[in-house]
Amino acid sequence: MFICYIMSVKNQISGVVEMRKYLRQNKVMLLVPLLFLAVFTFGAGTYAAATEDPMQQLQKRVDEVLRILQSGELKRPENKEERKKLILNAVTDMFDFREMAKSSLAQSWNTLTPEEQDTFVGLFSRLIEQRYIGKIDSYTDQKVVYKKQLVKGDNAMIYTDVVDKDVEIPIIYRLQENKGKWLIYDVKIENVSLIVNYRRDFDSIIRKEQFAGLVEKITKQLEKPETSN
Amino acid sequence: MIRSFVILAGFIVLLLFMATQTWAGADADMAAGSEPAVSSPGTEPAGGNGAGHDPLQEDNWEDDNWEDEWEDADTIADPLEPINRFFFHFNDKLYYWVLKPVANVYSRIFTEDFQVVIRNFFDNLRSPARAINSLLQGNVGDSSKEMARFVLNSTVGIIGVGDFAGDVLGLHPANEDFGQTLAYYGAGGGFYINWPFLGPSNFRDSLGILGDSYVHPLILLNADREVIIGAWTFEKLNYTALTLVDYELFTQTALDPYTAVKDAYQQYRNGLIKNR
Repeated sequence: MFICYIMSVKNQISGVVEMRKYLRQNKVMLLVPLLFLAVFTFGAGTYAAATEDPMQQLQKRVDEVLRILQSGELKRPENKEERKKLILNAVTDMFDFREMAKSSLAQSWNTLTPEEQDTFVGLFSRLIEQRYIGKIDSYTDQKVVYKKQLVKGDNAMIYTDVVDKDVEIPIIYRLQENKGKWLIYDVKIENVSLIVNYRRDFDSIIRKEQFAGLVEKITKQLEKPETSN
Repeated sequence: MIRSFVILAGFIVLLLFMATQTWAGADADMAAGSEPAVSSPGTEPAGGNGAGHDPLQEDNWEDDNWEDEWEDADTIADPLEPINRFFFHFNDKLYYWVLKPVANVYSRIFTEDFQVVIRNFFDNLRSPARAINSLLQGNVGDSSKEMARFVLNSTVGIIGVGDFAGDVLGLHPANEDFGQTLAYYGAGGGFYINWPFLGPSNFRDSLGILGDSYVHPLILLNADREVIIGAWTFEKLNYTALTLVDYELFTQTALDPYTAVKDAYQQYRNGLIKNR
């Protein structure tokens, strides 16, 4: 322990010295980003006053889901249906399913009639539920660490880590603002984008069996019994 | 055997020496480059400045990401699809008929804490490969961190069962392998290969697995083939026990599980390669 302490102090000291050297050598270089930073914070300040921060919104909703999951009352067998409904409501409130369904179909989306589009959005959101509600039920005591957010106009990326069994799993959310509400339209888990993945999956089917085949496959998929844990 | 040990020891000393030179510099860079466009979250990341979270690097990487939102790399070539699908099916059955039932029993006997310890032990054995690959990709800082991890965790962390370096010193593993090194020097992935037992891979990463295996301590110590296969199986079983539902949930909610796994593999690898 003592050795570690010495090592960390030594590192900090040399870090400070290096930092000073760096500052001295790069005064002009530093001014430019500082200027940008000032402009950015000023601009963002006026914007953030109007609406809530996307990360705050996400965190609030995730906390709400965790509260439902941890509630001892709801864990009782007789409340099983109620619990599922509450989770589902809380989760679906976070996603922009229409946007997700559209992106997952790529160009094929535009070839559909409005009715077909609506049907597909419904099917797609149930497919997502099937994947994530199954996972959410296996929740035990994972911690969510909110690392940072990037906001660009009405788009935002939020970087989080889920700490599960001592391993950090990076999860990135992409959100879009819709009337003051930030909704998720893609989730990247360990670099694997949910939407890109579905896009490939759907594309391989559309190419062989057209849109009708895809609808049929999803319908069949949704009839499958839930995955048991 | 003794000679390879001496070479390894020399390498460790060299890297530890370089470590003292580079950590300080990396800290200064991080402090200077991380400010703009990042609003700090309420909670700090648990481990402090980890190897994988260099904000400077991540920011560049994000800028690319805003632009090519869905335009991912081309789909991976798959001339072996029929064979690959066969082995995908084979591995799937292996999972449901063998791995999962055994892992279930295993989980009932050994606690999760024990499983984490076993995972740490096997993970520690891959440290030398990660260190060498970080170095080959020109990242001396990560390489020395990884070597320090190996030395510390093998000793203070008791043959690697505890992650002393990560928990106490905040030295987190750099996820590098030879496949990524080849990609760093411009090698494309080549075609997709779904190996029996090993699972999804591609031509480049298969070479990578082969390359990395040469610096795995079990191989360096000239272990018997039975020991190597036994160790590998045990590692796989332990890993399955720790991640039991994940595979099922992913494959069962995909319409064409083979395509979904193939794409997930490609995205995952591309992410690792980008995030050097």
